[in-house]
Amino acid sequence: MPLSRLLVLLSAGAIIATAVSCGRVFTSDSADERNTLCRVGGDFKGFDPVDAVDVESAREVSYVYEGLLEYAYLERPYRPVPRLAEAMPDVSVDGLTYTFTIKPGIHFIDDPCFPGGKGREMVAADFVYSFKRVLDPHLESQGDWVFAGHVLGADDWVKQIGAIKGPVDYSAPLAGFQATDNYTLQIRLAKPYPQLLYVLTMSYAFVVPHEAVEFYGDQFRRHPVGTGPFRLKSWRPNYRIEYERNPTFSGQTYPDTGEPGDRAAGLLADAGKPLPLVDRVVEYDIREFYTVWQMFLGGRIFTSLINKDYFEKAISSDLSLSPELVKRGIRLYKIPTLDTEYLGFNMLDPVVGASSDAVINEHHKKLRQAFASAIDVKTFVAVIFNNRYMPANSLIPPGVAGHTDKPYAYEYNLERAKQLLAEAGYPGGRDEHGNPLRLTMILPGSGSTDARQEADFYEEALRAVGVELVVQQLSFAEYLRREHDGETQVFWAGWVIDYPDAQNFLQLFYGPNKCPGINASNYQNPEFDRLYERILTMADSPERTALYEQMADMTTADCVWVLMAYPLEYGLFQPWFQNYKPHGFPYPNGKFYRVKPH
Amino acid sequence: MVAYIIRRLLSVIPITIGVILITFFVFRVVGGNPAYRIAGKNATPARIAQISHERGYDKPLFVNFHEFPRHVFDAQFPQLVWHLVRFDFGQSIVTKERVSTMLREGAGPSLCVTTPLFLIELFLGVGLALLAAYYRNTWIDRGLVLLSVMGMSISSLVYIMLAQYWLASVWRLFPVWGFESPCYLILPVLVGVIAGVGGELRFYRTVMLDEMYQDYVRTARAKGVSSRTILFRHVLRNALIPILTNVIIAIPFLYTGALLLENFFGIPGLGRLTVMALFNFDDDVVFATTFIGSILFVLFNALTDIAYTWADPRIRLK
Repeated sequence: MPLSRLLVLLSAGAIIATAVSCGRVFTSDSADERNTLCRVGGDFKGFDPVDAVDVESAREVSYVYEGLLEYAYLERPYRPVPRLAEAMPDVSVDGLTYTFTIKPGIHFIDDPCFPGGKGREMVAADFVYSFKRVLDPHLESQGDWVFAGHVLGADDWVKQIGAIKGPVDYSAPLAGFQATDNYTLQIRLAKPYPQLLYVLTMSYAFVVPHEAVEFYGDQFRRHPVGTGPFRLKSWRPNYRIEYERNPTFSGQTYPDTGEPGDRAAGLLADAGKPLPLVDRVVEYDIREFYTVWQMFLGGRIFTSLINKDYFEKAISSDLSLSPELVKRGIRLYKIPTLDTEYLGFNMLDPVVGASSDAVINEHHKKLRQAFASAIDVKTFVAVIFNNRYMPANSLIPPGVAGHTDKPYAYEYNLERAKQLLAEAGYPGGRDEHGNPLRLTMILPGSGSTDARQEADFYEEALRAVGVELVVQQLSFAEYLRREHDGETQVFWAGWVIDYPDAQNFLQLFYGPNKCPGINASNYQNPEFDRLYERILTMADSPERTALYEQMADMTTADCVWVLMAYPLEYGLFQPWFQNYKPHGFPYPNGKFYRVKPH
Repeated sequence: MVAYIIRRLLSVIPITIGVILITFFVFRVVGGNPAYRIAGKNATPARIAQISHERGYDKPLFVNFHEFPRHVFDAQFPQLVWHLVRFDFGQSIVTKERVSTMLREGAGPSLCVTTPLFLIELFLGVGLALLAAYYRNTWIDRGLVLLSVMGMSISSLVYIMLAQYWLASVWRLFPVWGFESPCYLILPVLVGVIAGVGGELRFYRTVMLDEMYQDYVRTARAKGVSSRTILFRHVLRNALIPILTNVIIAIPFLYTGALLLENFFGIPGLGRLTVMALFNFDDDVVFATTFIGSILFVLFNALTDIAYTWADPRIRLK
């Protein structure tokens, strides 16, 4: 057959096949078809709570699984309330034993993993099993810290299990987790851990049935079997997830209390209604923001963040919504995230770190202070981030007890920076021999535009005071290794709070946590450590908050970090989307959202 | 010819190892120990050591001199090559999914886009090139050349954005994004064809015109053979070698997917998978796609040479 004819036939075949296929019904996920919440999801690790380390994974897992506690949706400050627990736990006087009563009559969804395919009742032993999975080193969960080092016998159990090759027997006893009967769960701690109530709201602590784990094996991450408000209908990785209402969901209702102003804002209009308020949730895995933007403007998704490149298109110069979007009825939200970005100094570094010699120590402190004073954070957030960040004034972000409104001690002041530099022994950025001071900083994101822009900014800022700063952009793995192993001088970092307690930030300065622990600055201050050990066992109180403020001030005085910014999340909502209230830990909140017919 | 084929097949080995070596260097040597990323921000040294041990990241990179000579190849790179040649692609460090499963699931969607795109582009490219050659130096030829140069000069990103905005968002002729039915493929394929056909047309036109100035064409013309017959029966046949080269060498890329199109239009294919793996430093996925891509590339190169003997019986492979 001549080639030309072959080509004609093949191409015509392809065109005809496509055209014929298009005769089928055009399916759309536009939210006005049914009571459906359509949004953009992202890269997530599958439906195993032990892997729910990132925002996307925590949200997806929260559609289908639940834990003992969750945060009250409308109340502030954030407060854990019972979810699968009948009530808040009884806590022993010594703070070492938490006894939970489990709600009876809650069932896992129907699934082939159960005998007869009928979901069985959830019992206290399921929590023991699920918590042990988080600790199982073979599962490589990044959430093991929520129990490790805190729960009685956990560390020994991990060692014992870690030595086993092959399948792990979770029936091996762990003293800290006991199901005393079907509805009573006891958690015993090695030392007081008031943050336990917070970590029990996290996805790592969600309950899974052992039958599903055993039945699906390494495919368990694709087959969620939970008690949550939705159940998985379909999941195509890298493309789309669809959930539908869980018909056996346990009768949770929309909250009837909130903050003052919530009623006026319409946030209590659905009080008492059974959850979830939508029948279906569809999440698309879209990576190109241009596409997200087109989908949002086309009404196919209910919300969109505002990408840096689109900021000026969506937001006017006075930081309000652009008139074009206002005309469409689109609403703007702006949420400070519970996250602090900073530049850390390695306090073991011979140039910028602490020293046992008081004079040298003071010089090094002044050098760190000069570094901090040379950085114009306001310009940084305006130029690099379109003001989508707020300059930070405390290591504890706003909204968390311990944050104060005191101005940052090292606000941008070039003259002061030069003076401090001279006092540190580097007048004009040169040492006593006339050699230029050269510092090295690391930041992750090699090759990314943002990292390049940030690196240029920092280098330029230090050049203005005569210091030669070399910013190394590293791959994320190499950055983590250097930070973890203490191979740093100055490093960029950010910390997203895990629970609404400033202890989560202050642990980053605790001496025993030094590298290879999470105190990447290797800060050593016996007074700070003494206070930290004290707050560890304290429940929330004004006295503890005062200590948090005092400890934050100590780290500022020593200038361990250069405080950079708190990220602000700018986003948009469609006019038909309701019941949204900004939340620092929003993962399970899909069940509260409502879509108006439109 | 058999010896030639065997030689070409054997060349897969050094080429593929070389490609994997470069990828390994970028991802494992420069990129650092993935155990730190797997273990996360709160990891203890013991946890990192355990992950490194279980996944072999604590082994020497290239040669194990610690246990020389018995376990000299018990090192990261030789182990990686050994796993790859057995098509054991390991586990994604991001999703913890078997990489082979990810590749299997991504191949179909990629082929759904790249196959029609390839065929339509080929048909249009060759067809328009014949047209341009037939009407050479007329306004048709000049118009086609002008359009193809314009088409080649504009980034495919521009086509994607214009198509998504006008055709999908404003006029709603197509879905903006998705992979629900063949309808969802029309826009990405259309954009791919528009972005790619200019280059094809220019290439094939040059090939056709080269042939049209050959002696045998002049002879045929002198014998009174019609222009159409000359073009379709003689010129096209003799232009087959460069066309075959262009066509067969493009086939491996059908499998590897169309990176931009898949990413913008939500096709869950291998192109998108590769982009995400590169972005996330998901090294096992990158090693697997690189390995398969290099093998396919070398094999189809060999196939191109073999196809020459079919297109031109005078060619002998030695």
